[in-house]
Amino acid sequence: MTISELQREASHAHIHPPPQGFVSRYVISFDHKVIAVQYFITSGLFFVLAGLLAEMIRAQLMQPHNTLLSAQTFSEAYSVHGSAMVWLVIIPVLTGGFGNLAMPLMIGARDVAFPWLNMFSFWLFPPAGILVFLSFLYGAPQAGWTEYPPVSLHTPGTALWCAGIFLIGVSSTITGINFMVTIIKMRAPGMTWTRMPLFVWATLVTAFLSAIATANLSAALAALFIEKIFHVPFYDPANGGSPVLWQHVFWFYSHPAVYIMILPAFGIVSEVLPTFVRRPIFGYRAIAYSSVAIGLVSFMVWAHHMFTSGLAQWVQLPFMILTMAVGIPTGIKIFSWVATLWRGRIRLSTPLLFVIGFLSCFTFGGITGVMLASVPADIHEHATYFVIAHLHYVLFGGSIFGIFAGLYYWWPKMTGRLLDERLGKIHFWVMFLAFNATFLPMHWLGLLGMQRRVAFYDNQFEGTNLLPMVAHTNVFVSISAFVLGLSMLIFAYNALRSATRGQVAGPNPWGARTLEWMTSSPPPYYNFAEIPLVLHGPYDYGKPLPYANISQDLATEPVD
Amino acid sequence: MATHAISIGDAEYQEVRSHRLLGFLFFLISDTIIFSSFIFSYLYDRSASAVWPPLGIERPGLYLAAVNSIVLFGSGVTMHLAMEAWRHANRSRFAGFMIATIVLGVGFLSGQAYEYTHLHDTWWGSVFGASFFTLTGLHGFHVFIGVIFLITVLLQTRRGVYDQSRYFGLTAATLYWHFVDVIWVALFFLFYVY
Repeated sequence: MTISELQREASHAHIHPPPQGFVSRYVISFDHKVIAVQYFITSGLFFVLAGLLAEMIRAQLMQPHNTLLSAQTFSEAYSVHGSAMVWLVIIPVLTGGFGNLAMPLMIGARDVAFPWLNMFSFWLFPPAGILVFLSFLYGAPQAGWTEYPPVSLHTPGTALWCAGIFLIGVSSTITGINFMVTIIKMRAPGMTWTRMPLFVWATLVTAFLSAIATANLSAALAALFIEKIFHVPFYDPANGGSPVLWQHVFWFYSHPAVYIMILPAFGIVSEVLPTFVRRPIFGYRAIAYSSVAIGLVSFMVWAHHMFTSGLAQWVQLPFMILTMAVGIPTGIKIFSWVATLWRGRIRLSTPLLFVIGFLSCFTFGGITGVMLASVPADIHEHATYFVIAHLHYVLFGGSIFGIFAGLYYWWPKMTGRLLDERLGKIHFWVMFLAFNATFLPMHWLGLLGMQRRVAFYDNQFEGTNLLPMVAHTNVFVSISAFVLGLSMLIFAYNALRSATRGQVAGPNPWGARTLEWMTSSPPPYYNFAEIPLVLHGPYDYGKPLPYANISQDLATEPVD
Repeated sequence: MATHAISIGDAEYQEVRSHRLLGFLFFLISDTIIFSSFIFSYLYDRSASAVWPPLGIERPGLYLAAVNSIVLFGSGVTMHLAMEAWRHANRSRFAGFMIATIVLGVGFLSGQAYEYTHLHDTWWGSVFGASFFTLTGLHGFHVFIGVIFLITVLLQTRRGVYDQSRYFGLTAATLYWHFVDVIWVALFFLFYVY
């Protein structure tokens, strides 16, 4: 298309005046950028609470037969820790947070397709979190974040937990539908599918998974809730129900949810890498289409969580093979990112450090994932700390490192000020070392047979011969976990400090080329004075910017 | 929404309409997933049981359900005729068929309420009953929401919210009503026949 044709297409997009008054601006806001900040703040609070629960768990595990927590409190702590980290921190931050903050700007839109629904979707989130934590007052769930019946049916707080997760599920579905329509219908003129930034690709697949898989979770939660309140048999074997049925419907959602928690982080990595390496991303199409492949395969692997639940062998085999096959599209991504780094002009600023942390930890977690996909290995390792180590390498080493990469990267766009680089690097190194010190030894503990989800353990796991320099492995792990928790304070200080003393960022502090940097920081209410026109893909470093209709002072070639 | 739809130009209306239509279709897909999840649970229980329905449980009466199904499918026909009348700008015929659809919808719900009150209490204690009540209850809830939806758009047409070229609310109500009809086909087959 010629520029004049694109211009005609862009002509009917109005600028609406920004709302006046505190409430309509910051509380019941329809503005995707404000809603993103609301998600970050709310999730941040839940992150602190869920993190404190993790520290309680590690404090208990410093000694084999510690009396700090009762067995019941310990079970409540890890159950709510897991639930909160998955549904109240990682999923909302990556979809509601980064999706709202960056996606509409990256496609050159004024807002999402349904701003009212976006507001509504956010306001389902705080009550959901409060319900989950309120369950402590009634006797919180004790069956882990997966809440397997029949155990989950015997804790009074399960009903509150169900209600809370149901609300967050509805919120997730609405956001997914909203984002899909936004990306399909509202891209700036000229932004064809293969000119979309890779974070937008990741958000599109995530939105699809949120809309489809989460609806299934809502149904499962409703059934568990009905069974808990009215004693109708769905899952309780005492009444003729089937606990394995819950595992099927739960994991049919929760395995795709694993990719809801990682695909946006993949997207963040794909944005940060080319910016700080100053060269086009390697294998744009491979990265984009492998996200789609991962999204589709994610619906066909759920039963690999159930190898110890007595499935027939002919069921186990295809799930084992398909699960291992997920390694292929993921491997394509990892190799593309490493190839992007290869011979690039690397600037080791904080966002890129977190991306490199992501690449190393996530790859490690991916490999242990393939180990666990193997049925015989899984039967041995399923109930041990090996699984805890694996999932934290993927969800902390992957998702949380990706989240921090995104926070350091988009902080100036969100607030107009840069975070301090020196503090950021200290934060990275403390977090990276403490993370590995916490979770790496758990692989050994797990392979030796230390059981997960138990408040006490046998004396033999106090120290392991496999780590000769550490006599007391569990004490070492706990202290590392405390340091890991404290490293978040460095970020909190950095964030607060940037409000007053942070360097003013300007529209494009990193010299990036995607559209969110082609407007001021923070962007005006209407994002772009004129809807930009897109002439080429976003990652051609060294060439002129591929946009028209951008205000001239922004449209200069980014500085190196 | 209503005043907004009138105040904007044709090109922008078409754009907004296409967003809402796509969003609504995605909503219907995710709603289908919710029903599918419960249907999967039912089929899972069915395949795990040697006799079906489980011992001591009898299938609900086919006769009442068949009459009720005819009522619901009839409402689908009147809904279609109402939309045809709207497209031909025949407002009184449109209103007549809309009212017929609403009456048939309420008739279906009454039939379902009658069926529920005449089922045996032990049903609540069986996996068949659990799936039956949850699925038909969820479907009945959808019919209830659909009736409210139809009444709302009918009142909106009285207030002049829609005109001959801009009537997305009406389209959405029609889609929703036909969707609820189609779901019933699956439920009828599962609980009364299969």
